[in-house]
Amino acid sequence: MTSTKTSREKVLNLLNGKRDGELLCFSGMGNVTTEGMKETGIRFAESHTDAAKMAALAATTYKLFGFECAVAPFDVAIEAEAVGCPINFYTHVDPQEILYPTVKGKIVKSAADIRIPDNLASAGRVPVVTEALKLLKRDIGDAVAIGTYIMGPFTIAGQTMELNDLLKICLKKPEHVDEILHVYAGLVIKLVDIYSAAGADYITIREMGACSDVVRPSLFKKLVEPHLRRIFESAPVPLVLHICGKSNGIMDSMNQCRAGAISVDQKNDLHETRATIGPAPILLGNFDPYNVLVKGTPDDVSRAVEECVKSGVDAVWPGCDIWPTVPKENMETLMQAVKKSR
Amino acid sequence: MADESKRQELLKKLADGVWKFEEDEVAKAASEVISLGLDAYDAIMNGLAKGMEEAGRLWEEEEYFVPELLLCADALYAGLGILRPHVRMEDKAKSKGVVVIGTVQGDVHDIGKNLVKMMFEVAGFEVHDLGKDVELERFVEEQLKTNAELVCLSAMMTTSMLGMERVIKMIRAKNPKVKIMIGGAPVTQDVVQKFGADGTANSASNALREALKMVAALRTM
Repeated sequence: MTSTKTSREKVLNLLNGKRDGELLCFSGMGNVTTEGMKETGIRFAESHTDAAKMAALAATTYKLFGFECAVAPFDVAIEAEAVGCPINFYTHVDPQEILYPTVKGKIVKSAADIRIPDNLASAGRVPVVTEALKLLKRDIGDAVAIGTYIMGPFTIAGQTMELNDLLKICLKKPEHVDEILHVYAGLVIKLVDIYSAAGADYITIREMGACSDVVRPSLFKKLVEPHLRRIFESAPVPLVLHICGKSNGIMDSMNQCRAGAISVDQKNDLHETRATIGPAPILLGNFDPYNVLVKGTPDDVSRAVEECVKSGVDAVWPGCDIWPTVPKENMETLMQAVKKSR
Repeated sequence: MADESKRQELLKKLADGVWKFEEDEVAKAASEVISLGLDAYDAIMNGLAKGMEEAGRLWEEEEYFVPELLLCADALYAGLGILRPHVRMEDKAKSKGVVVIGTVQGDVHDIGKNLVKMMFEVAGFEVHDLGKDVELERFVEEQLKTNAELVCLSAMMTTSMLGMERVIKMIRAKNPKVKIMIGGAPVTQDVVQKFGADGTANSASNALREALKMVAALRTM
């Protein structure tokens, strides 16, 4: 079944809960490839701080392979940087190396330490991201959905304070964690507004820090879910809730957040998830973006797509950022296998 | 001399205090071990380490999660700080092996690495901890410098896990015999094989068990 709708319209319909019956293949997370780097001559290391390079690189997976989105930025340290944490950009490392920026220093001990800048739109690399979104919109925004992502409040907390301390006070002083998450949920809501005003068609909230490899599902429900709900309540564009790692135990909580779509990785049992959330919610997932897409053969890729479809995903979507060194033929096989499943 | 039943009672207090994360109880029991002149090494191995093993079991059964393990670790360290200065020289000399451990470059998560490190220390390994976000070459250098039998690499994210494959190749090129364990959320048995590592484990106590097997195998070679 083919339609005259643009790829962008199809993606946005899906994220607004309307199933067109056509299987899509896109992501809410990083998906640039070394093929895209070759094509544009842009090195990964220089794309994190330069809006034009970020945008140019973000467009390549759509342009080269027909992947049905363009997503910027590529790293997960934007929020921590915006509240003042120093970031390691690995500028001293060989520029050919693919390393994602990381948070170098933790500056928060309690909610009282958190400083959300008055002019958040110009803090840290927020303006780089908004500029990249505007450029993408101008370049390919009519044809393809432009996405971005923001870390969830618990994940930001874990990045800006000592993770040991955060996790321990989850048990010892949960009310302190609640205060911190309240402040960070406010930060996320502001970023959602800034990015959607800049042209993001959809935004993925990545709350992997609270997956069940780390904290108990009942703790997620009590401490994390209320703040996520607040974020999803007020969204001006479709928001996807993504949690990689173990997520079956928190699926009911994730569903209660009323996201436009739920995204999980390969650790999730999709059949069990469907049984928990029922047929209505849009479910995105969950092929393994490294073991299958990078390390697998084209046959493995086809099989993984089949598996996703059989498990009832609404779009074939990687469980995490696509690792850039994905072989060209695997990306091509991915797109072909999805088309064949339509 | 305290009798066997007192020894058993204190070992149980140490073990229970660790897995129930009762720091004060552990410290009290450890002090009693010392004041009664009981064997500190025995108290560490059959008290504290037992307790952490129980915590590991609860982790595997998804009764415990990372916050609980961190509190167990605090309780264990409370006891270890008191007991370790009293370990006899001949027990100290019984090194189980030499291990280099660290989180690879591009990753700043170190909780899992620290838990595994703690188990190695408790069991009497000589541990060289390189910390987090460690440049790949440093693992190779440190292994050569310390002649470690085991190198343990940690990564929490798919996007940082890839460095491990290169470290493994670099270490093997210099020293094909050394055993290499990898760990972290994205690491599966599949990854172990693809990267050419020797093993992984799903908890700190299992990591220790695997490590002991590997070192024993090396020594019989």
